[in-house]
Amino acid sequence: MLIFDELKKNDLQLRTVAMVLAGGLFILLVGLWWVQVVSSREYQNHLETQSYRSIRLPAVRGKILDRTGVNVLAENRPRYNLSLYLDDLRPQFDDAFTELKKSALAAQKQRIAAQEKKLRRPLTKAELKQFRLTTEEWEQLRTQARVGEAASVVAEVGRWLGQPLTLDAAKFNRHYATELAMPYPILPNLTPEQIARFEEHFAGGLGADLEPQSVRVYPFGDTAAHLLGYLQKDDSSAEGEESFFNYRLPDYRGKVGIEGGFDTELRGHAGEESVLVNNLGYRETNNVPDLPEAGHNVVLTLDLNIQRAAEESLARHQGSDVKGAIVVMDVRNGDVLAMVSSPAINPDYVSNNPAYLADPELRPQINRATQENYAPGSIFKVVVGLAALENGLDPEQTYEVQSDPTRPGRGCIYIGKRKIDDTAPPGEYNFKLALERSSNAYFITNGLHTGIENIVRLAEKFHFGEKLGLPTRQETRGNLPSLARVQSDWHDGDTANFCIGQGAIVVTPLQMAVAYAAIANGGSVLVPRLVERIEPQDPASGESATNFPAGVIRDQLGVRPRSLKILHDAMLAETEEPEGTGHPAAVAGLRICGKTGTAQVMNERNEVIDHTTWFASFAPYEHPRYAVVVMVQGGSSGGGTCAPIAHDIYEAILKNEKSEAPKVLAEN
Amino acid sequence: MISDPLNERESKIDRLQLAALAGLLFIGAAFVFSATMSNPAAADKAWYVQSWFHQLIWYALGIGAGGLVCLVDYHTLARWSFVAYWLTVVFLVAVLVPHIGTTHGWGARRWIDLKFFQFQPSEFAKLAFVLAAANFLSRPPDELRFPENFWKAIGLMLLPFALILKEPDLGSALVLLPTGLVMMFVAGTPKKYLLQLLGAVGLVAALFLGDMMFLPGRWQIPMESYQRDRLLVFFGRNYTDFAPPQATPAELQRLREQQISDEYNIRQALISVGSGGLTGKGWRQGTQHALGYLPRAVAHNDFIFSVIAEEEGFVGSVIVLALYGVVLFTGLRIAGSARDRLGKLVAVGVVTLIFSHVFINIGMNIRIMPVTGVPLPLLSYGGSSVLGSLIAAGLMQNVYIHRRGY
Repeated sequence: MLIFDELKKNDLQLRTVAMVLAGGLFILLVGLWWVQVVSSREYQNHLETQSYRSIRLPAVRGKILDRTGVNVLAENRPRYNLSLYLDDLRPQFDDAFTELKKSALAAQKQRIAAQEKKLRRPLTKAELKQFRLTTEEWEQLRTQARVGEAASVVAEVGRWLGQPLTLDAAKFNRHYATELAMPYPILPNLTPEQIARFEEHFAGGLGADLEPQSVRVYPFGDTAAHLLGYLQKDDSSAEGEESFFNYRLPDYRGKVGIEGGFDTELRGHAGEESVLVNNLGYRETNNVPDLPEAGHNVVLTLDLNIQRAAEESLARHQGSDVKGAIVVMDVRNGDVLAMVSSPAINPDYVSNNPAYLADPELRPQINRATQENYAPGSIFKVVVGLAALENGLDPEQTYEVQSDPTRPGRGCIYIGKRKIDDTAPPGEYNFKLALERSSNAYFITNGLHTGIENIVRLAEKFHFGEKLGLPTRQETRGNLPSLARVQSDWHDGDTANFCIGQGAIVVTPLQMAVAYAAIANGGSVLVPRLVERIEPQDPASGESATNFPAGVIRDQLGVRPRSLKILHDAMLAETEEPEGTGHPAAVAGLRICGKTGTAQVMNERNEVIDHTTWFASFAPYEHPRYAVVVMVQGGSSGGGTCAPIAHDIYEAILKNEKSEAPKVLAEN
Repeated sequence: MISDPLNERESKIDRLQLAALAGLLFIGAAFVFSATMSNPAAADKAWYVQSWFHQLIWYALGIGAGGLVCLVDYHTLARWSFVAYWLTVVFLVAVLVPHIGTTHGWGARRWIDLKFFQFQPSEFAKLAFVLAAANFLSRPPDELRFPENFWKAIGLMLLPFALILKEPDLGSALVLLPTGLVMMFVAGTPKKYLLQLLGAVGLVAALFLGDMMFLPGRWQIPMESYQRDRLLVFFGRNYTDFAPPQATPAELQRLREQQISDEYNIRQALISVGSGGLTGKGWRQGTQHALGYLPRAVAHNDFIFSVIAEEEGFVGSVIVLALYGVVLFTGLRIAGSARDRLGKLVAVGVVTLIFSHVFINIGMNIRIMPVTGVPLPLLSYGGSSVLGSLIAAGLMQNVYIHRRGY
């Protein structure tokens, strides 16, 4: 080295000093290399942890649309909250503190002077300490300054908005301590008038500003409420998402229904906002390194017109508090066109009265179309009848219903010692008349002839007692006794009950719609479809939509067309013959095949406490397209309570088809 | 290697060292600017009250003072060195008097308020000590064998040491020890004395640290609590280990919080230095001081190095080290080419003094030394330090200029 060489060769001391210096500089060099090169990443992480705050930004939730893709059942609207931006207020906080500090110091000086005057000597250090403000007291002054300033801003904003506003000091201090980087909310959900007033007076100044927030709205109120489901406040990270955030903006998670079942698709991906904060925690700058990805739209198979007609019809005939359900299904492909459960809830869950939600009698949270078991009663006779026809019943052969000795003009049947009432009068019955009049005696007799095992085998093909695989998290499977169950400890009385849709068999209205659709379409048991497709919110995004296939066949009944024809004819008679129990459902210009039912609801002591009334049907007779199942709890009878509702629905369907026909033509 | 000897002989001043000094001054001005202008409240003030502008003024004054020092032969200066030495001792005593010395609210009495200038006598005491010690030690080596001369040299060192320690300013006091020792070593003090001295210093230091670190509170040497705390932080001990046995949970909690706040500066300095990485974030792009994590009160003086390291990275750190290296080794070269023992001792003293500052200050930024408010020569903001450093540089140049005067 140049410098070393120039040191006098014999000057050992200087050379030693030079070595020590070189060694010292080398230690620093290695230390710096270690800190700045080797451990650099670690310190950069420290830096980020202490000076960045991450905020979870929820994505815009997808819409829920009806099958037209035009009618919006659930969407988002901005709501404006008024917030204080603390970082903008900081100079005011400081100024206010400076003022307080001045007077506090003056007061302190005065107290000391007074004490000194009293003692007639200067105070000692230890004595002075007692008169000085403590750190805590200074901190209190700071807090006082902040709260004072914030309160005056809030009050001023309130004056301009024409709504007196006050600052909750405790809440404000808590926010200051824990969420300083976030705006402090002072008034949620401003009215348009308030927004206009605010913009007029305070655009940009004052440290208060409007903060948009997305809220879920359901434009048609409680229409299809159960199917849509609802959201609950939940800002936790979803699976596969960044799990650590310093702060989280309000977010919601679908709990049940479509909102729940398709929550992942609707929710999209939350983004992240990164806020640079100073050593006191005030926001300095911010950027959004990770933009939220909007959720996808869910397009339902529901037809809004039919859905609303069904809801209105049920409410008109039975009142909005009635416990009931309606399912309208396209028998050709399994599309659910309407699904009603009454009483309804508001999909904006928090706006429901908690007492109403918890009502043990109404149980409005239950989706009665899919989530509750009901005895099908006489509407199950079509299944029993079909099994009998398939197993050699001659539909023309008559059976005589005997008279009930205790109820003149009514029939009955004895199974062992037990007497079962028949609503049909005594007389000769063939298949058609028996179905039309819903004769218990006829179907019990022929059911016993056919054998319980044969009936259960057919019922299994309908997949009663099994879940349909709905995405709504609102499903019960119903019940169908297994073949094994009916082969042991099973009595004729049980079969008799089973044949008239009581006892061991329980169903959901949607299961009945699937069964009637299968009878209507020639024997294909379809998978009901609720969602047509999931598509990106922004059609320009280039992402493709996910289509759910229509008409997925779950099973084939494998019955002869002749048996179905006999059944169709008998069901047609039930609505078209004036004597038919389902006659009130008849609609001019549409031939409806239907079956009424009135199931008894028993308590533990086998006493009848209520009735479940049904009308299950499909139409048109010639080329069936629609299955309509109406169920009302506590109705008088299937024909009297449910058939008129079905009538209204079929009328609405006809009207809907007429209004759509030109459109279809135009499209073609 | 192939330098032209003729040219070398003709140059009156050491240009390489001056270039390195100029480089350091440039860096100092640039980063005092960066460290202070990032504070919006400070940046709004007029330019003539800004720290960077004051620093430039001190640089100008310092260059003038250094130049003046060069005009007078260092022999003449050495003859007056005892006057300077005793004068600074008077000031060091004066600074301890409550109405003369001020604390700036820091707890330590280090300054004399001259209204336009916060005079820090310890900065000048170090220089006066170097001159006086050089003058004393430049006697023939044989005379250094006498024990009384050895003890006199020790006394020369310990007087300002004790006074500065009393302020208290542990860092400034500590730099006197290596400076004095190295000067005695270079002067030719017998090895026997030096080893004994070194052993004694080591023993005292070990006893002192051991006492402080491991003995319970009432057995300890009375000491300013913040100094003990800083050392505890450096040696990784917890404050709660020294709490009285009957301490309540609330008191223990307070001690823990106290520890966190005391560790704060060094932690933030480390984060600054480390997050700079290889190439740094760029001038005025550092966030640590801008956001106030690195306290604004120290960013531009004691912790200026962490600002440089954060903004210019390892590359910047190496440049700073290299510039100091050039200053130090040209200083040793000056010592080697000095006309006599006096010149050699002055140059070695100044070199060791500068090196001690650099090592303690940068070492503190990367946590290989405890936090002891020692400025980084020429880079840290501060009139006394800048003036003292430039006068020290002037002394080295003086030795160089007068290397063959007759």
